[in-house]
Amino acid sequence: MKRLRAFVNGVDIQRFRTWFQLFAFVLLVYSGYLYIDLGNSLPVFACGFNDAGRGGVCYLLPLQHQTHIPWESLFSWRALGLVTGFLTFFAWLLVLNKAWCGYVCPLGAIQDWMTALRRRLRLRYSVYSLESFTRLKKVKYILLVLLILIPFAISNPVEGLPHVPEDMATPFCTICPARMVIPAFTGDFSQWTLDFSTVTALVMTSLGMAILGIFFVGALVNKRFFCFFCPMSALQALFSNIALLKLRKDGDKCTRCGDCYRVCDMQIKAIADDVERKILIEDDCMMCLKCVAACPEEGCLKATFMGIPVYEATEEGFFRRQQRRGGE
Amino acid sequence: MSAVPQGGRRAAVLAQQIRESAQALATLEREFPDNPAAMDYFYKLFHRVYCEGERAQPEGTLVGTTCVQVPDEIVRAAGGIPVRLCSGSHAFDQAGADFMPAKSCSLVKATLGLLQDERPAWLETLDRVVNLTTCDQKKKAGQMMEDLGCQVHHLEFPPSKDSEPARAFWRASVRDFVRAAERMTGGRVTRTSLRESIRAVSRAQAAYRRLQRLRAESPALLLGKDAFLVTNAYFFDDLERWTGAVDALVAELEARREAGVSAALRRAPRILFTGSPPVFPNLKIPVLVEQAGGVIVADETCSANRMLNDAVSVDEWNLYDMVDAVADRYLKPCTCPIFTSNGDRLRRLLDLARTHAVDGVVYQAFAGCQVYEMEHHSVSRALAEAGLPCLYVETDYSPDDVGQLSTRVEAFIESLRSRRRRSR
Repeated sequence: MKRLRAFVNGVDIQRFRTWFQLFAFVLLVYSGYLYIDLGNSLPVFACGFNDAGRGGVCYLLPLQHQTHIPWESLFSWRALGLVTGFLTFFAWLLVLNKAWCGYVCPLGAIQDWMTALRRRLRLRYSVYSLESFTRLKKVKYILLVLLILIPFAISNPVEGLPHVPEDMATPFCTICPARMVIPAFTGDFSQWTLDFSTVTALVMTSLGMAILGIFFVGALVNKRFFCFFCPMSALQALFSNIALLKLRKDGDKCTRCGDCYRVCDMQIKAIADDVERKILIEDDCMMCLKCVAACPEEGCLKATFMGIPVYEATEEGFFRRQQRRGGE
Repeated sequence: MSAVPQGGRRAAVLAQQIRESAQALATLEREFPDNPAAMDYFYKLFHRVYCEGERAQPEGTLVGTTCVQVPDEIVRAAGGIPVRLCSGSHAFDQAGADFMPAKSCSLVKATLGLLQDERPAWLETLDRVVNLTTCDQKKKAGQMMEDLGCQVHHLEFPPSKDSEPARAFWRASVRDFVRAAERMTGGRVTRTSLRESIRAVSRAQAAYRRLQRLRAESPALLLGKDAFLVTNAYFFDDLERWTGAVDALVAELEARREAGVSAALRRAPRILFTGSPPVFPNLKIPVLVEQAGGVIVADETCSANRMLNDAVSVDEWNLYDMVDAVADRYLKPCTCPIFTSNGDRLRRLLDLARTHAVDGVVYQAFAGCQVYEMEHHSVSRALAEAGLPCLYVETDYSPDDVGQLSTRVEAFIESLRSRRRRSR
């Protein structure tokens, strides 16, 4: 057991993650051809617009449908869909917590591949200043609120206010880059179009196309560019404290060397600076566990599942990784 | 500089330095029984370098550094060989008094004394120095080194380390230093050369950590005077050979542990050493502690733990990220008292005390080292709260206070002993 643990803690987590992501990508993007269906409440961007290949559907799509209901129906059987949808989402989340983002999300994987490409081209990555970072990270909550409120407002017009057009029924999907990127992997480029049917549709699809462009450029420049703005990440963050997979820190052992912070794709400074909190999952965290791998202090950072350590910072593991990954 | 010291006096200084080194070495080697055989490498190394003036390092341009926060990896990647110039010699300390006010730090004075002409043979050709702007005395010493004919790069260090602007400033400073190091050595810092130097230093650090981990065991397997000698050798030894010698020592200590051989009695009070750095030949306080029956099991000083404990962590093995990674390692974990706050130093001390089952702390402050003197209060308060007795010793390189200090150290060790007995 001790040897197994030492082996696991010595693992090059990046390599493991790359393979895991590839597996998850194939599962979520192509396994539909094998009639595999993981349901439509997945806490990742398994895009529902990928009709043919999808092995499951992103929860945000049904969420927008389910909140597209009149106020009275909220207290009828019709709300059952909303409740079961949420409970399923919650059950998934409970297991992997935010590691869904770091290990499973196909859009996340695509961004990591673009990062790998940039690294091979030996181009420096850019980071946000702490100030703009603090401001930008609020965007995802705003998007989350909007994607629930807009469909709801369509079904519940308020006297005196202008009606929200029906084309806004799935507002987030129309601007989400996954709608265009993920189906493209099964050869379906039908989403890469502008919808001229109404003004609203035109505006929204144009916005979507623009965001797609920004997505490609951004992901080449910034690590995990889109994830800072992801409303799914915001939704997960609301419940991440009760999930079973946890990222723990023993502040007494921390030298605040900042190694964890500097490798963090999401620029989470608290991981290095906070020596008080025992559980350190910030809202942007994707639990990729790079920080654990980059920590040289024995047992300072660790990932636990139901309290059992699954991956832990060790001196030996750290120094082994630094020697091995140098060969890249 | 107005008065150039005469050649005769300079030669006498060097002779005195050799004498005091030989004496210190004799004490370290012969006055303690049963030294590990692997320590012979270090005793001989110090004899060759300090008494014979031999060079321990391979061919290449020597680049003097005056602080542990100067990124060695970059000097090495540029093809240079870093040598830490911080000197512990009383002879050089006296000679250095020509430059600095009488009440300034022995270490800074000794470094200046060392750089005057009539140096130890292996340092004769050294004329490139990287001086870090840490404390005021080191900052000002840079100019004086220039006056002594050295080509000095003033590596600018921020006065605080927690803020992002400080980090950005230091990163920029280190990027400039890459160019400066290339100019100093005529070499190029490339992706491959920097990667190799990061890995080589990382291997040395891994070896150091293995040694340090053994020191946490009880009864103690290694005396602190030997541990300080090992880390001191890192200042000037060939990197790969040093790593090998430390590994050999680790292997021997592990074998000794299996055989039940220890370096100190189980009831010997375990000491954590902090404050101004003990640098050979000035191992006065560590030797007094261990002659009095204590054993130094850990330290928080820049001649040992702070120099070797913290490691570079690279995310993307390209030049841009490696340079930044090196920069971060030399700022973020640093517990030097020059920074605006010392919370990290306190936490580090408490962590070392906990992991090494420490009974008491010895705090050395060189007279004139204001920052260590100023942190005395906050440190002893934090230690008192944790129930750790602390002996604060203000001293310098002069041997004059040994008699008085040994009484204090003995009394402290004795008080730790009786405290242990009571608690049982």
